[in-house]
Amino acid sequence: MSLTLEDTKTRNKELIDEVLTVYPEKTGKKRAKHLNVHEEGKSDCGVKSNIKSLPGVMTIRGCAYAGSKGVVWGPIKDMVHISHGPVGCGHYSWASRRNYYIGHTGIDTFGTMQFTSDFQEKDIVFGGDKKLEKIIDEIQVLFPLNKGITVQSECPIGLIGDDIEAVSKKKSKEYEGKTIVPVRCEGFRGVSQSLGHHIANDAVRDWVFDKTDPSKNHFELSPYDVAIIGDYNIGGDAWSSRILLEEMGLRVIAQWSGDGTIAELENTPKAKLNVLHCYRSMNYISRHMEEKYGVPWVEYNFFGPSKIEASLREIACHFDDKIKEGAEQVIAKYKPLMQAVIDKYKSRLEGKKVMLFVGGLRPRHVIGAYEDLGMEVVGTGYEFGHNDDYQRTTHYVKDGTLIYDDVTGYEFEKFVERVQPDLVGSGIKEKYVFQKMGVPFRQMHSWDYSGPYHGYDGFAIFARDMDMAINSPVWGLTRAPWAK
Amino acid sequence: MAALRQIAFYGKGGIGKSTTSQNTLAALAEMGQKILIVGCDPKADSTRLILHAKAQDTVLSLAAEAGSVEDLELEDVLKVGYRDIRCVESGGPEPGVGCAGRGVITSINFLEENGAYDGVDYVSYDVLGDVVCGGFAMPIRENKAQEIYIVMSGEMMAMYAANNISKGILKYANSGGVRLGGLICNERQTDKEYELSDALAKKLGTKLIHFVPRDNVVQHAELRRMTVLEYDPDSKQAAEYRELASKIHNNAGNGTIPTPITMDELEDLLMEFGIMKKEDESIIGKKAKEVAA
Amino acid sequence: MPQSAEKVIDHEMLFRQPEYADMFAKKKSEFEFKHPDEKISEVNEWTKTTEYQTLNFQRQALTVNPAKACQPLGAVFAANGFKGTLPFVHGSQGCVAYYRSHFTRHFKEPTSCVSSSMTEDAAVFGGLNNMVDGLANSYRLYKPEMIAVSTTCMAEVIGDDLDAFIKTSKQKGSIPAEFDVPFAHTPAFVGSHITGYDNALLGVLKHFWDGKANTTAPLTRVPNESINFIGGFDGFVVGNMAAIRQIFEAFGVEYTILCDPSDAWNTPTDGEFRMFDGGTTKDEVERALNAKATIVFQEFSCEKTTKFIRAHDQEVVALNSPIGVAGTDELVMAISRLTGKPVPESLTKERGRLVDALADSQAHLHGKKFALYGDPDLMLGLTQFLLELGAEPVTVLSTNGGEEWAAKVQALFDASPFGSDCKVYPKKDLWHLRSLLFTAPVDFLIGNTYGKYLERDCGVPLIRLGFPVFDRHHYHRFPIWGYEGSLRVLVMLLDELFEQLDQSTIVTAKTDISYDIIR
Repeated sequence: MSLTLEDTKTRNKELIDEVLTVYPEKTGKKRAKHLNVHEEGKSDCGVKSNIKSLPGVMTIRGCAYAGSKGVVWGPIKDMVHISHGPVGCGHYSWASRRNYYIGHTGIDTFGTMQFTSDFQEKDIVFGGDKKLEKIIDEIQVLFPLNKGITVQSECPIGLIGDDIEAVSKKKSKEYEGKTIVPVRCEGFRGVSQSLGHHIANDAVRDWVFDKTDPSKNHFELSPYDVAIIGDYNIGGDAWSSRILLEEMGLRVIAQWSGDGTIAELENTPKAKLNVLHCYRSMNYISRHMEEKYGVPWVEYNFFGPSKIEASLREIACHFDDKIKEGAEQVIAKYKPLMQAVIDKYKSRLEGKKVMLFVGGLRPRHVIGAYEDLGMEVVGTGYEFGHNDDYQRTTHYVKDGTLIYDDVTGYEFEKFVERVQPDLVGSGIKEKYVFQKMGVPFRQMHSWDYSGPYHGYDGFAIFARDMDMAINSPVWGLTRAPWAK
Repeated sequence: MAALRQIAFYGKGGIGKSTTSQNTLAALAEMGQKILIVGCDPKADSTRLILHAKAQDTVLSLAAEAGSVEDLELEDVLKVGYRDIRCVESGGPEPGVGCAGRGVITSINFLEENGAYDGVDYVSYDVLGDVVCGGFAMPIRENKAQEIYIVMSGEMMAMYAANNISKGILKYANSGGVRLGGLICNERQTDKEYELSDALAKKLGTKLIHFVPRDNVVQHAELRRMTVLEYDPDSKQAAEYRELASKIHNNAGNGTIPTPITMDELEDLLMEFGIMKKEDESIIGKKAKEVAA
Repeated sequence: MPQSAEKVIDHEMLFRQPEYADMFAKKKSEFEFKHPDEKISEVNEWTKTTEYQTLNFQRQALTVNPAKACQPLGAVFAANGFKGTLPFVHGSQGCVAYYRSHFTRHFKEPTSCVSSSMTEDAAVFGGLNNMVDGLANSYRLYKPEMIAVSTTCMAEVIGDDLDAFIKTSKQKGSIPAEFDVPFAHTPAFVGSHITGYDNALLGVLKHFWDGKANTTAPLTRVPNESINFIGGFDGFVVGNMAAIRQIFEAFGVEYTILCDPSDAWNTPTDGEFRMFDGGTTKDEVERALNAKATIVFQEFSCEKTTKFIRAHDQEVVALNSPIGVAGTDELVMAISRLTGKPVPESLTKERGRLVDALADSQAHLHGKKFALYGDPDLMLGLTQFLLELGAEPVTVLSTNGGEEWAAKVQALFDASPFGSDCKVYPKKDLWHLRSLLFTAPVDFLIGNTYGKYLERDCGVPLIRLGFPVFDRHHYHRFPIWGYEGSLRVLVMLLDELFEQLDQSTIVTAKTDISYDIIR
């Protein structure tokens, strides 16, 4: 039974009204502003966003620390990132984001390690600055090849008034101008991960760019230098993207921040163009580089052949004919592979309905990849999006799509129960809720331990994964044959 | 075993809070009560008159040395002074660093868990000036102090502080058992001090439990790091503290839920007693030149 | 072109293709400005030396790869053990996202938990409003039977008072006055996840036994013959609780498991999502006061709870996660002594089967050297079992075990001839352990998933017995307690051992002389 567009819109509106009735009145009023049915032609999705989550509703969101340590800074592989405060934050975010990198962990790279100041009661009462100084000294002794240190603040740091900036400056001086970056990403700041991204971006601006000698780490510039911004190399995403940029004749001088190094960060203002994948988490530094260093930036989308093709051309536009031809060659080269992938999977996925709830750019960016496989996204929402994300989303979503900002556990469950999608794409906390309900699921933060999903190589994996999720025999077994 | 009485002395800094509390507690001890003093002021001066000591080693400084509070034994932090009064100082960081409020929570949890309250009749908390954060409110949380005594004087700032502390108590009074026991006025010899204090007490829905007159013997005793009760037990001032002590002793269960007043009401009260002049609204925001003109 | 539609290549192989290898080499040489390879290998070798170990052990401030999490994680675990109970953590919301992810990755099960989502304004003014609204919202949305409140470090630093806040919330009508909201302050900067388990469990018992935060009369103990069992924080809880129940059932005695999340983390996939399933009921908690005694299976996970129960005139038998024959004997004999019932034949037989298995396999494990790390009680149980097998637990390390724990481990060493060369390391982390694995090599490592980095760096095969286990599936479904659980542990040790033996003898015409089909 397929619903007409009008039926769908009515159903979705009723569904929103229905979930809202369960809330206490005050909460319901607030939540109402975050739920909507998309109307084609509108400038955004008609929802409020980037507003405090309500207490007790089971938000899916994280915190500013997660945005800074977990997302932006954590993947910079040759720096030591101290989770500054009690032991938990660093523990739970320890190596869990699959930011792939190459290096000798513990020797010259530190990505999958957990460095913590493991605050004790006395550190709270007497302040932790002295401990931080000692920690930096000990890092210098035991990890002599580290190229820099960041101090990722956990909640107590801001509450007890520690002066991590002073400690960072002092120690930087003591270690001959070593890069030591204090980051004020205490978890209570802001409303979600998002402010953590912003704070982390600002920390790069203030403590890396503004303190870097441009002649350091010299290399010959070329007219085709670009930097990948906002790709965290989950399952190798940045690599399967980089390979395409290089194949079309560009030279990638930096990766932000998946498999990235401090030298790459420092050299990025030398790029001719910044190519920005995750707008949400790194638009700030891209705008800054444009203003201060005159580096233009362009957003791109490497999910699925249609968007990849458009993006390659868009990026090529910023360069000469050589690059434009290069882009066409790359598109042509991969066309047979893409056709083979689509031939293989489309027939098995055609018409399947997907509901998404993810962070960053994905609630919109992956829609094209699903559509390349003949699938339809019928509901989507951002964990920590802002209004500019919802504006950009209008280019992707269809009329009548259910939109839910900062969805609560309750709402998401009810929406899926009623919309009955063939696939839900969200995070680890949501995965088993829906699988128990018998709904196929893919984690769309970590790629469910698969990936890469970016680029042409990634799309083949994406298509295979969606097929294996939806068409697994297990979903035919959830009901016992004797059950009514 | 009689139920444990837990009381707390709050008040603006410099008001003579720890002097008053130590003298009163010494008088209570004289009455045969077993007393535990828990100083909750980072400057750790709540027990010096009882111990004849400059400053006692604090729970937090010892914990910092030992590594953590778990590494401490009760004997390390609990000292016994005049008339077997047991003394503990919570301590805290230097001004401007760390979190002194959390320190109070840490210390009180430690004392409770290690049986410091066993076998005493009175626990008295001596708490820093105003209620500045949740940590300093620890002694007024439920299952801690039942009655709060606010030490004040007829000075404007002391009265502001008393009103603020009442607000703090009110916050916990509705859900918990904490009550305002009364105001203790430490005479500063300001105008109409007794009347003003009494009026404020009424406004706050409590009573002026005692008016402690000023007497130089207090300073003489302090110089010797002693309470008046010990230094000059026959003095008139010692009798005042005994009277205050017995009033507190008989005040169990008589505490009230305070009714703090607004800033305007407080200012009206001060004006009524001539402590504060009515503001001349016509001069507000006028620069020197304008005034001259 | 590396990728193909016919056989899709995953990340594991994709990035080994020559196109990518070239790309990586170029990135490294042109843009990473790395230290020279020689320098890297020089430092790498240096980290394996005793000189490095000395420096490493001189650390006073820095912690690297600790084997512990923070208090509220344990509180959420404990809350999950009670029927229809929603864990509610007062403080920053990111923490709750972390606890939920962490448990979900381990159990591959949903973990429901809400936060009061405190932000900057709450940091200044306190989180009372967040509590008032949070309780109202979660009560309406998720219809729990009980909400168990704990705290993140944010709420603890600013000194929020749970008792007063919950009472105020009730006065303001967030939840009915009689609705049960046990609570526990769980500062992350004190202890570890096992401390949080203890505090939260204590919060529940206190609530029901001592008069619901002074709102009802405390219960009076009327002793009966039943026995309580408290497991402690345990990553294998799903399998273990079943094993424990089986033991009690065999005895045929009345028993209550206090805090049992084994159903909550073991729900079927049958078309329905169960936010709550199983767990100890309120009624059971109240009746538990009357029990003859309580068996605490993991002492260090229940220190305050143990004290509290003893103060209610109930006997407490505190064990240290006993595993193996003698260990399980201790549990079984305790039940027998407390209930006055003889050990049932079925258990005696089960015991005999475990001894049989030990006898069959002991030759392989005898004298094998192990390094192990994890929560204090689990370490004691495994140490005891390894010594029983004639193996040598030469390095036993815990980040959240202190001196008192170390003394207990040492006592186990001292009581066995196989313990003479063994050493215990309290309050140390996995970077300390890395040094030890180089300077005092062992045959096997026992730990949680994070141990795989040591397996890679030090070449010691890892046996996953601990929490969390993210990279193997379904371990938590099988017990490691009781005779049956001990058998499972034995098999895990043996599987890894035989696997290693096969791997080291697999080269044709070279090492395959010993590639035996019978072992």
